[in-house]
Amino acid sequence: MRFRTPSCASLCASVVTASLVWACSGSVLSNAYADNTKTLASLVVPRFVEEAGAAGIEHAYTGSWEFFVGGGGAAFDCNQDRMPDVFLAGGESPAQLFVNTSTPTGSLTFKAVDLGLSVRDVRSVVGAYALHLDSDPYLDLVVLRVGRNLLLKGDGQCGFTKANRRFDFNGGRDWTTGFSATWQTGANYPTLAFGNYIDNSAPGSPWGTCHDNLLVRSSNGDSSATPQYNATTLLSPGYCSLSLLFTDWNNTGETALRITNDRQYYRGGQEQLWRIPEDGKPPRLYGKSDGWKNLTIWGMGIAEADLDSDGYPEYALSSMGDNMLQQLDPEAEEDQPLYRDIAFEQGTTAHRPYEGDDSKPSTGWHTEFADFNNDARVDLFIAKGNVSSMSDFAAVDPDNLLLQHPDGGFVETGADARINLPTQGRGALVSDFNRDGQLDLMVINREAPVSVFRNLGVSETWGSRPMGNWLAIELKQNNANTQAIGARVVVKTGNLTQSRTVAIGGGHAGGANDFLHLGLGVAERATVRVRWPDGSWSHPYRVFANHHVVLARESESAVYWYPNQ
Amino acid sequence: MKKFGMKQKLSGLVSAACLLVVGLCVNNPVLAESVPWDETTKELGQTGELPAGRLSKRALQALSDTGKGLFSAQFTPADGAGRPNATQAIIPTKTKRPRQHTLLRTAGPDATACSSCHNQPVLGGASDFVTNVFVSEGFTQADFDSVDPQFSNERGSNHLMGSGLVELLAREMSRDLADIRAKALRTARATEQSVRLPLLTKAVSFGYITAHADGLIDLSEVDGVDADLTVRPFSQKGVMTSLRQFTVNAMNHHHGMQADERFGMAVTGTDDFDGDGYFNELSPGDISALVAWQATLEPPVVETPENSDWIAAAQRGKEAMGAYGCLECHRSTLPLDSLDFYDPGPLDVVGTLSINDVEEAAIYDLSLLHWAASLERNDSGQVLVPLFGDLKRHQMSDRQNNALANEQLSQRFVDRTRFMTAELWGVGSTAPYGHRNDFLTLKSIVLAHGGDAKAARNAFAEADEKAQLDVVAFLKTLVIAP
Repeated sequence: MRFRTPSCASLCASVVTASLVWACSGSVLSNAYADNTKTLASLVVPRFVEEAGAAGIEHAYTGSWEFFVGGGGAAFDCNQDRMPDVFLAGGESPAQLFVNTSTPTGSLTFKAVDLGLSVRDVRSVVGAYALHLDSDPYLDLVVLRVGRNLLLKGDGQCGFTKANRRFDFNGGRDWTTGFSATWQTGANYPTLAFGNYIDNSAPGSPWGTCHDNLLVRSSNGDSSATPQYNATTLLSPGYCSLSLLFTDWNNTGETALRITNDRQYYRGGQEQLWRIPEDGKPPRLYGKSDGWKNLTIWGMGIAEADLDSDGYPEYALSSMGDNMLQQLDPEAEEDQPLYRDIAFEQGTTAHRPYEGDDSKPSTGWHTEFADFNNDARVDLFIAKGNVSSMSDFAAVDPDNLLLQHPDGGFVETGADARINLPTQGRGALVSDFNRDGQLDLMVINREAPVSVFRNLGVSETWGSRPMGNWLAIELKQNNANTQAIGARVVVKTGNLTQSRTVAIGGGHAGGANDFLHLGLGVAERATVRVRWPDGSWSHPYRVFANHHVVLARESESAVYWYPNQ
Repeated sequence: MKKFGMKQKLSGLVSAACLLVVGLCVNNPVLAESVPWDETTKELGQTGELPAGRLSKRALQALSDTGKGLFSAQFTPADGAGRPNATQAIIPTKTKRPRQHTLLRTAGPDATACSSCHNQPVLGGASDFVTNVFVSEGFTQADFDSVDPQFSNERGSNHLMGSGLVELLAREMSRDLADIRAKALRTARATEQSVRLPLLTKAVSFGYITAHADGLIDLSEVDGVDADLTVRPFSQKGVMTSLRQFTVNAMNHHHGMQADERFGMAVTGTDDFDGDGYFNELSPGDISALVAWQATLEPPVVETPENSDWIAAAQRGKEAMGAYGCLECHRSTLPLDSLDFYDPGPLDVVGTLSINDVEEAAIYDLSLLHWAASLERNDSGQVLVPLFGDLKRHQMSDRQNNALANEQLSQRFVDRTRFMTAELWGVGSTAPYGHRNDFLTLKSIVLAHGGDAKAARNAFAEADEKAQLDVVAFLKTLVIAP
């Protein structure tokens, strides 16, 4: 059907919209997302199918008060097959490692393997992140616990050994809930940041008794020797942090650490941004005189994305009711971290459940930007769930999938995408587990089985079809920081430029160390440039869509990788 | 009706809603009942449902007839022609400012009909220099109004005869190359050793591929095909995958007619991306009709001249081309396994409807067509497609022979001096020659070859004039049937 005049077309479209709104008024107009109907029709909504049982993932994050928070995990390749395996925190239940046995482009399957650790070590685990702790080519794990944190050295075959002693890492006795890592200029080993929560042993606990956070470096910088993570710097004051992220907030390449804190327990606290000098000088908090504005939220998770491709990342901060989307204020002076909240104008407040009758505020946890529908616009996922039985907050609080709209702004699609389970979500892993080019989702729930959502693409009555073209990028450089953590990847298709930063940290108690995934929309080719961690720019790499590519720093061309069919 | 996702469902909803309010629109004369003299294209929207399954001869003919009508139609603003707010880019791209002209010879839209250019010597044929098109990506400087080569590559219009067979060959070659890649990867993983295999399909070599045990592949020895090993048979550069993709691109570029599958609501968030006030300008069914007509076009033939001297000269010329090495690239035939043309096809990616986007693709059985019986077959039963090409890109110039190095812009990752081997079938009917359509004689275009064709070109150049004329005599027999 074609419309012969714009006036009639507009009229017809209005009638349809009105009809849809009328038809949906019972469930839609009663909440904050009434205007979604007008935009849903123009969005490609991915359809997820939950298949944890079939996938062989039997796991839950359980426990009492100390495990009301946490519940993260790590998605990473532990056996050198470039398929993402998963380590899941269990709280009072044991943490588990699942090796990915999925058939590429098919159903998801995993196999639980023995971690070979003591019963004590696999319990009280809150979260985990994967990274290279030493110079071998195998990914290692940092395990966050209530009590001593662990460094697990990987052997490339999904075997791990506790390496606290080998790496001279104390591990502490704190209640650790956040982590981030970066390679500072010239460093052979990463700088580790540990975010701690409440000091249970302090008088008056839990209120006003937040632990300090820690910065840990290797005192041994020789890449041929074993790292010694015994150079510790306190990041004080700590305000009961729940997520940390090393970030290049001012596009200078200098290291800064963003920390989101839980106002429930701190006194006089706020959100924090630390300068982390590379010359060995002590870290310094940005304060009011620097332009930093006091912000107090129930900070649960951090995600960053350069939504407007201006080189300065925006930050999504999950909270209880007042989720934030922060953008560097255009009026801010140079090197002034002055942020404005654009969550309302962008449609990412997600402050109440998008379905059901419960109009109480939501509780947000893991938050992550990713392009779930491959339309070349980054989307926002927020894991949701009541802390436990907090009656002032929504009891049934499904996870959000906020898809970015072609006209800008985000639209809630959790229900249409079928991720709207009545679980208490905590951490989440966003990764293309079956290497079909569509991001899947694993949500770690409190006191309930993990949800494993396979992304089917666009659902049709006869099956499903692909949503958009995509590109998966792995960076590689020699010597230290082989994964180029801190690099910025810029992908150009037509006049559109997308950027991603390779980072470890953020989310809630975990995240993925995997190919960078970018949706390309209808583009079948892309040009990629990399700003390597030392600030130098690569030449343009020319790549074809719908492929996994490895961009090696010394290589002229992209190297294509194919999963094992 | 076969499924095409949310887009069509929405169209249905909108249609129904529009019926409800049609009474409100009757005052607009454009919406009045169609009359024979209104300035619209009758074939638009005629293919209401996306064809599916194996089409009967009659159904295929009907679909092709609709496609022919669309190919011949001179689109008007009442059809949605023009794109005031969109560039010619293959990725939906907005102009910086509304265009001042409906038609613009350089950046387009530059024609009212496909047949404005593809018409020599028959509908679907090629054209003279006067209809050259100016190929730019349409992203930066999309509004160029100069023919200066720094802004665009100037190209002649190729003929489309036999293009269904060409696409089928490319699909099979792409399938073969993908199979070789998969085999190399399987073997490398199984043996934990790197495996190097020749990329050979239909006796055309695309170099070698080396697969490593970790699933990485080394493409440094690949030659004449893109890194994804997809043989893209269309355009002078060999950068278009399918008739469908080319049609979607060309309809936007040349006419400002935007296909839903690339520019529609599901991609751009609007049904009127080009801002001309007309929605849903080309449905998937419209595109299918255009594809069906092009895919079923009769291939060129080798004509037997009435003049016996010419017959003898042509025979000598063909033999000479073999001796010179011309036929190394201008392969006289390529074998084809199947004449089933699936539409949508298997190799397109999102932005052009593909076989993955529909419940069931249509099958156009080219063996039903009157010309199919005249195609030769080999002992294996394969159809021998007499295209005189290899569907491979080559370096076409060198230091001494750089007449074909006349472009300043690479196109879609292909260097400016590399081009797809021109298929010679029909060359006797499609003067002038070369990718810029500016070589007036066959002899001159042969002598313009360089690069990979240098040895063959030199052999031709060193031959005496009579022998050169023999080659021309042969080429003149490769004609498009009137």
